[in-house]
Amino acid sequence: MKLRIVLLAGLAVLCIQAQVTSERLLNAPKDPGNWLTYSGSYQGWRYSPLDQVTRANAGKLKTKWVYQMSTTHTVETTPLVADGVMYVSQPPSDVIALDAETGREFWHYRRVLPSKVNVCCGQVNRGVALLGDRVFVGTVDAHLVSLDAKTGEVLWDVQVADYKTGHSITVAPLAVKDMIVCGISGGEYGIRGFLDAYDPKSGKRKWRFWTIPEPGQPGSETWKGDAWKTGGGPTWVTGSYDAAQNLIIWGTGNPSPDWNGDNRPGDNLYSDSAIALDADTGKLKWHFQFVPHDVHDWDAVQVPVLVDDEWQGKQRKLLYWAHRGAFYYVLDRETGKFLTGKAFAKQTWAKGLDANGKPIRLPNIDPSAEGTYVWPGVQGATNWYSPSYNPLTKFFYLAVWENRSVYRKGEQEYSPGNRFIGSVPLIDLPEEPGHGAIRALNPKTGEMIWNYPLHTKPWAGVLSTAGKLVFGGSDEGYFFSLDAETGKEVWRMNTGGAIRANPIAYMSQGKQLITVAAGSSIFTFELGK
Amino acid sequence: MFRYLLLFVSLSAMALGQTNPRTSPEDVAAGAKTFRSHCATCHGIRGEGGVGPALAAGRFFHGSSDDALLKNISDGIPGTEMAGLFYSPDRVWQIIAYIRSLNPSSRSDVPGDVGNGRSLFTSKGCMRCHRVQGEGGRLGPDLTSIGKSRSPENLRDSIVNPNAVVQPRFWVVEAAGKDGTAYSGFLLNEDTYTVQILDFQERLRSLDKSGLSNYKVKKDSRMPSFGKTLTDAQITDLVAYLSSLKPKGDSE
Repeated sequence: MKLRIVLLAGLAVLCIQAQVTSERLLNAPKDPGNWLTYSGSYQGWRYSPLDQVTRANAGKLKTKWVYQMSTTHTVETTPLVADGVMYVSQPPSDVIALDAETGREFWHYRRVLPSKVNVCCGQVNRGVALLGDRVFVGTVDAHLVSLDAKTGEVLWDVQVADYKTGHSITVAPLAVKDMIVCGISGGEYGIRGFLDAYDPKSGKRKWRFWTIPEPGQPGSETWKGDAWKTGGGPTWVTGSYDAAQNLIIWGTGNPSPDWNGDNRPGDNLYSDSAIALDADTGKLKWHFQFVPHDVHDWDAVQVPVLVDDEWQGKQRKLLYWAHRGAFYYVLDRETGKFLTGKAFAKQTWAKGLDANGKPIRLPNIDPSAEGTYVWPGVQGATNWYSPSYNPLTKFFYLAVWENRSVYRKGEQEYSPGNRFIGSVPLIDLPEEPGHGAIRALNPKTGEMIWNYPLHTKPWAGVLSTAGKLVFGGSDEGYFFSLDAETGKEVWRMNTGGAIRANPIAYMSQGKQLITVAAGSSIFTFELGK
Repeated sequence: MFRYLLLFVSLSAMALGQTNPRTSPEDVAAGAKTFRSHCATCHGIRGEGGVGPALAAGRFFHGSSDDALLKNISDGIPGTEMAGLFYSPDRVWQIIAYIRSLNPSSRSDVPGDVGNGRSLFTSKGCMRCHRVQGEGGRLGPDLTSIGKSRSPENLRDSIVNPNAVVQPRFWVVEAAGKDGTAYSGFLLNEDTYTVQILDFQERLRSLDKSGLSNYKVKKDSRMPSFGKTLTDAQITDLVAYLSSLKPKGDSE
């Protein structure tokens, strides 16, 4: 009898632990054995407080297990780990649950897709969200799906938007309080962007914030005619949550059409912006637009990095942001006010930033019929892949591109479901492919602390750890570990497939592990003896 | 009933092999416009390839018939990044007309004497570096099916001015090892830490860049200009021969 009670109590504890409650998500930094949300914590740091792997022993890292996916699409997933189970998305829109210790599969949710799904840049998926005993995934046919975390069975499946008008979901949703916050893709198809929140139990929408205001709403004065209806402003990278202020802070993408702004004179709010929304209502609290009237496709789809620190002698809520247009920004998180900014890579489009953080544009930088050369290139000086902030070094880490593109302006014509881009930029100049780097910045000034050069341009995010290491990857297939203070390489390994995803760290059976997707596989590393 | 009849008609058309009804110069021009805004991001403005395969060469991985192109462009290709288009078949036919127009092998008006061009190819030393159907050197591009992928004008340019366009595959690495050994060869592949070359003795070598000094990548062609070595008429014959080099069984 007594034994049975003890057993029951034990089971109850297990069951409670197996729930990813919103409290656990809030306290994720105190639970480093798991990786419960896209950036590891609501602050967007992609930082692991685990310190078993250090600069002294990282040279002994070796492969623990590999899970090979069956996909021909690029794998951009950030795995989540909860209580021994790893949840990864397999592109286009499948979800797989794995044993985090062995890489063996528990279940596989297969998404059946319609035959004609248009996604600008590949049928990709960046990961899932966990809340309660459920898994949430957005699909390239623009549905949001809730799965049972134990079986992968579908609990509900709702249409977020119509995929036939160029809408798709590639973003990892974010679980906040009793909501699943989910963005949308389609900035190359003339969608009108939004950010949604859904009830995790029913799939019912709680609120929608349109990133492009309709006539009469604040911000609509930055549009002309009907251009707002096809104005873009997608929300395709997971944002952050400022719990103290109850604000969801999220980045928005380019105005549409991308490279021809003739039909959309004005600043085109709230494209290319950081937006701060009241988490309960979805109402806009403040915004900061990085590039007014963008004609280069420089989405502000970076992970917002939230840091409370001293600023000019006073404690302040800060927002760190390295934007695709090659400038690094510090904003005030209470007001969205610009504090400072500085270029972190070569750029030839702005003289600098004015007192309000607006770019002071140089002449002759807009796309032209014959082509205009501008640094950075179309894919920017950084992009969707995650940066990292380490509270021990107090540095901001990111993957950087040094390259330029030819921006060609062309005609634009909207037709539902087809591309609406206003030209074709030459993304890679065959003779001038550019190069990449991993960089550490002083986040208070934007000044570069160190530079780890890469021969090619990376599409992989960075992770930093309490072991004072930075993990990053390259398109060449190398996964590497750098000294977080000096940038010196400590370890590297050739995974054999381009790394286009963000690394994570977690704990299994008392040991710190590091995981990253490379090629079409998930690699997990451990310390060797 | 009428619906079934329509279905039957359209199925028959597919089975019998539809051919492109929109091939006028106006269709090609309209197709070029659509191609530029919808296809060129991946396939290049002139179909030269990029993220997606080159289309100008007239080789298609998922079927080369008009039917197959209509289906693949309209519906996309599952399992790849090739998306479909939400356009009428007429508009897709125009794109196909444009893609077909990019292929130089559709040309039947290449002047010159193919036989004489073949003799020149052997006697003027081209085969020391170039290979045709397994014979010749490896220090220049293999020309076995060059007539399929390059226009006569383009071939003439390459003979007269080899530096005009040098494919990255034929860029040359020069470096010295720590012991003073000199390395030089074609750049086959490179990453942050290593480089893979085909050296001029036709050996495949992989080098650790940290052990190299004076590392240089030269983007000039190793081929001399034949603009003065050959007469204009000889160049015309040589171009005629090269244009005749196409894959066996190529009916397009």
